[in-house]
Amino acid sequence: MKSFKNGDEKISVNELMIAIPSMVIGVGILSLPRVIAVETIGSDGWIALAIAGIATVLMVWLMAKLAASFPHQPFFSYASLIVSKPVAKVMTFIFAILFIGVAAYDIRVLGHTSQQYLFDHTPVEVVSLSFLLVVVYAVAGSRAGLFRLNMLFLPLIIFILLFVLVVNLKWIDVSNLLPVFKTDIKGYLKAVHTSSLSYIGISIVLFYMAFVDRPHKAPKAAMIGMSIPIILYILGYLFCIMVFGHAATSHLLFPTIDLAKRVELPGAILERIEAVFFVVWTMGVFTTTVMAFDIAILALRSVFKRIKKMTLVLFLSPTMYYLSMVPNDSSQITIFGDILGNITVIFSFTTTIVLIVIAKIRGVGSNDKKTK
Amino acid sequence: MRRRLVKQNEQVNNQEKSQPYNPAKLDSNLKENILQLKKLLDEPNDLIIREIAVGEDKVTSAIIYIDGLIDKQLVQYSIIENLQKLSVNSQLPKENMELFDGIYQTFITISSIEKGETLEDIANAILSGKTVFILDGQAKVMLMDTKGGESRSVEQPTAENVVRGPRIGFNENLGTNIALLRKTVQNSDLRLKTYQLGKQSKRSLIVAYVNGIINPIIVKEVNSRLETIDVSDVPESGFVEQWIEDSFLSPFPQIDSTERVDKAAAALLQGKVVILLDGTPHVLVAPMTLGDMLKSPEDYYERWLIGTLLRLLRYVAAFIAIFLPGLYIALVTIHSGMLPTDLALSIAASREGVPFPPVVEAFLMVITMELLQEAGIRLPKPIGQTIGIVGGLVIGDAAVSAAIVSPIMVIVIGLTAIAAFANPSFSTGITFRILRFGVMIAASIFGLYGIVLVYIMLNIHVVNLKSFGIPYSTPFTPTMVGDWKDLILRAPITMLTRRPKFLDPEDSKSVNKGVKDS
Repeated sequence: MKSFKNGDEKISVNELMIAIPSMVIGVGILSLPRVIAVETIGSDGWIALAIAGIATVLMVWLMAKLAASFPHQPFFSYASLIVSKPVAKVMTFIFAILFIGVAAYDIRVLGHTSQQYLFDHTPVEVVSLSFLLVVVYAVAGSRAGLFRLNMLFLPLIIFILLFVLVVNLKWIDVSNLLPVFKTDIKGYLKAVHTSSLSYIGISIVLFYMAFVDRPHKAPKAAMIGMSIPIILYILGYLFCIMVFGHAATSHLLFPTIDLAKRVELPGAILERIEAVFFVVWTMGVFTTTVMAFDIAILALRSVFKRIKKMTLVLFLSPTMYYLSMVPNDSSQITIFGDILGNITVIFSFTTTIVLIVIAKIRGVGSNDKKTK
Repeated sequence: MRRRLVKQNEQVNNQEKSQPYNPAKLDSNLKENILQLKKLLDEPNDLIIREIAVGEDKVTSAIIYIDGLIDKQLVQYSIIENLQKLSVNSQLPKENMELFDGIYQTFITISSIEKGETLEDIANAILSGKTVFILDGQAKVMLMDTKGGESRSVEQPTAENVVRGPRIGFNENLGTNIALLRKTVQNSDLRLKTYQLGKQSKRSLIVAYVNGIINPIIVKEVNSRLETIDVSDVPESGFVEQWIEDSFLSPFPQIDSTERVDKAAAALLQGKVVILLDGTPHVLVAPMTLGDMLKSPEDYYERWLIGTLLRLLRYVAAFIAIFLPGLYIALVTIHSGMLPTDLALSIAASREGVPFPPVVEAFLMVITMELLQEAGIRLPKPIGQTIGIVGGLVIGDAAVSAAIVSPIMVIVIGLTAIAAFANPSFSTGITFRILRFGVMIAASIFGLYGIVLVYIMLNIHVVNLKSFGIPYSTPFTPTMVGDWKDLILRAPITMLTRRPKFLDPEDSKSVNKGVKDS
């Protein structure tokens, strides 16, 4: 029975496909056009976004392939099959810590940004805490519920983003795209590096694949899912360049919000429509944070089997809150984000590749798929 | 929490079952039996015992019933008259045992007769409107169904009005309700399962479903939950609802209730279960999902374009009913920059002289609105107009001229109230009213950000909620795109060829022509 099947912890391939863009679209989208524009000349940033995007899609495909060759097995169990139990333990543990970091970073950035855009008087601690409490409420529910939340929020996020872009059509100036291909290799490399940081979070595939009902179909779905944020990012970037010009884009703090500011509703029912944009962005950050939190719990519980989920939630949320309050100002938040992003990207990429290579050499995984 | 209750209940049930219950058997002496019965019921004055001598031997017999619970004409013509004719009839068997069977087979013209052997049987039977025939020398009795007495005629439901569609509604009589349902769903697969509920005051409950359409898992789940019901008295189907619902902490109704026959019948044919209880016109429909909150049977009777637009309107109304006062608070207090300058100025001008911040103002008005609504229900009809005058003139007009609330606030609250009434079911309206307060509090603390947090929390709650094992948020998510044809949109009837997929019916096709097997 389909509905009843959906009631338990299995997720469909489509839900996995939706989960990836929900995870990737998060805090980064507001400042992304600036950080890319700073490294490149003219409109060249989209090439960097595309290169990093293609690499990430490949990576997602590899991850999905790896995890799908051990159907219905959690990360820890297949990792210990490939590289002995202790090593797998360390890997899972590092993943857990990284995802705790990601969640903490998201909570802080959300608090920081909403304080800047929505209210000046409320302290960031309160804003972040209230957000964390809502996240805890979501994590305490069922895992299938999280995927349903993605399904509810992602269409809204995509719709608002596209709406903002469409409304900005009348402001674009195509000549702003020029000059093209003027960036040197170093600039491209830097921009690729920066843009790859905005694609972090894809390693959820490694963990969530255990719950997918038809894993053999998952790699393709994961790739499709991953291309959604890439296309949105490239479009968003090009629009920022076309509307504001390169120089302005690289100096605006959150170019995407400024894009939203341009929206004027007919009859001026509401001004400052970017607040609505911000509200929807909050949902995007929420899905990212919740999934990061959930993966941290999942990872920790696969290592420490005896701990209950609620105990972990109650232990992790203050940790996360404390961690999110460590940076003092926006520059420290940026540094925190950069360090976290670099480690996450490098660690998840190397782990995946190492696991795949060793699995191939030792012949685990792909074999039992054939025998099945 | 519900599971815990169920578990406790099972334990209690098991304990009770382990102590066998030995009811007192009837005596063969008629006088003795009647004496015992009178003792048991403490000789009430509406207990009628009519003694009749039957047969050639003038054997004493008696019919027993309670005045007011039976159909007097039926008892008069089908029982008493026949029995009296019996005395002059000579074809009767003489033997006492045969006499009893003879009367049973030939002379009583009541269609539904059972036999009883204990005093308890007699007492229960006469209390539920049956007539008991007792013959001297026999340790058993006949329980004849002569239910009657006062009941309301079939009328138009008062709470769920439609412009177009059948006017008929359920009433308090279970037999009538079942008949209405049978008349509407003329299907040989309509199954009715009867339960007796209540320890102290017994009532029958009937679970209706259409075999071959409904998924058997749903029936099983409903039955297993109904079996756990253990109360002394079930005055209304709301009791049943609260016993078998999934989460009693949720503000959302998880079981639909309706007075409309057409709605119940449509639900049966979609693959849902309908639960009818004796003594109430409100029948329960399960399982229920989020989309059902805003559906009205009328959507299907009007042409699809009208149906679709009405649905859309209701969704907009739902959002207004929940979020508008909160949004107003957020915009006026925290994000006043978001309002267009002219509007901001006119709001500021209208608020001039109002001593309270918008939050207090909004709470004052919303609570007044709730009071008016509640008082309007309680007031007797002849003075019902008073509430309109008091509400409209005194509160609305006077409050504004006294500068306690601003006119814009009155507009906002008025719009919210109208939007809440625009949804088809009363229990949904209550849900909206509860949620509204949460939104208002969050909005007064965090503004728009608070509203979005509440919105997210609502979503979290809904995706974790279930109704009889079916996720409450279907078919929005888990997504069943096929079911979206009848959700916010109402596709043309010719396109609604399949039953809702989220119910996973055994027979998914509701129209056979032109639908490929899948």
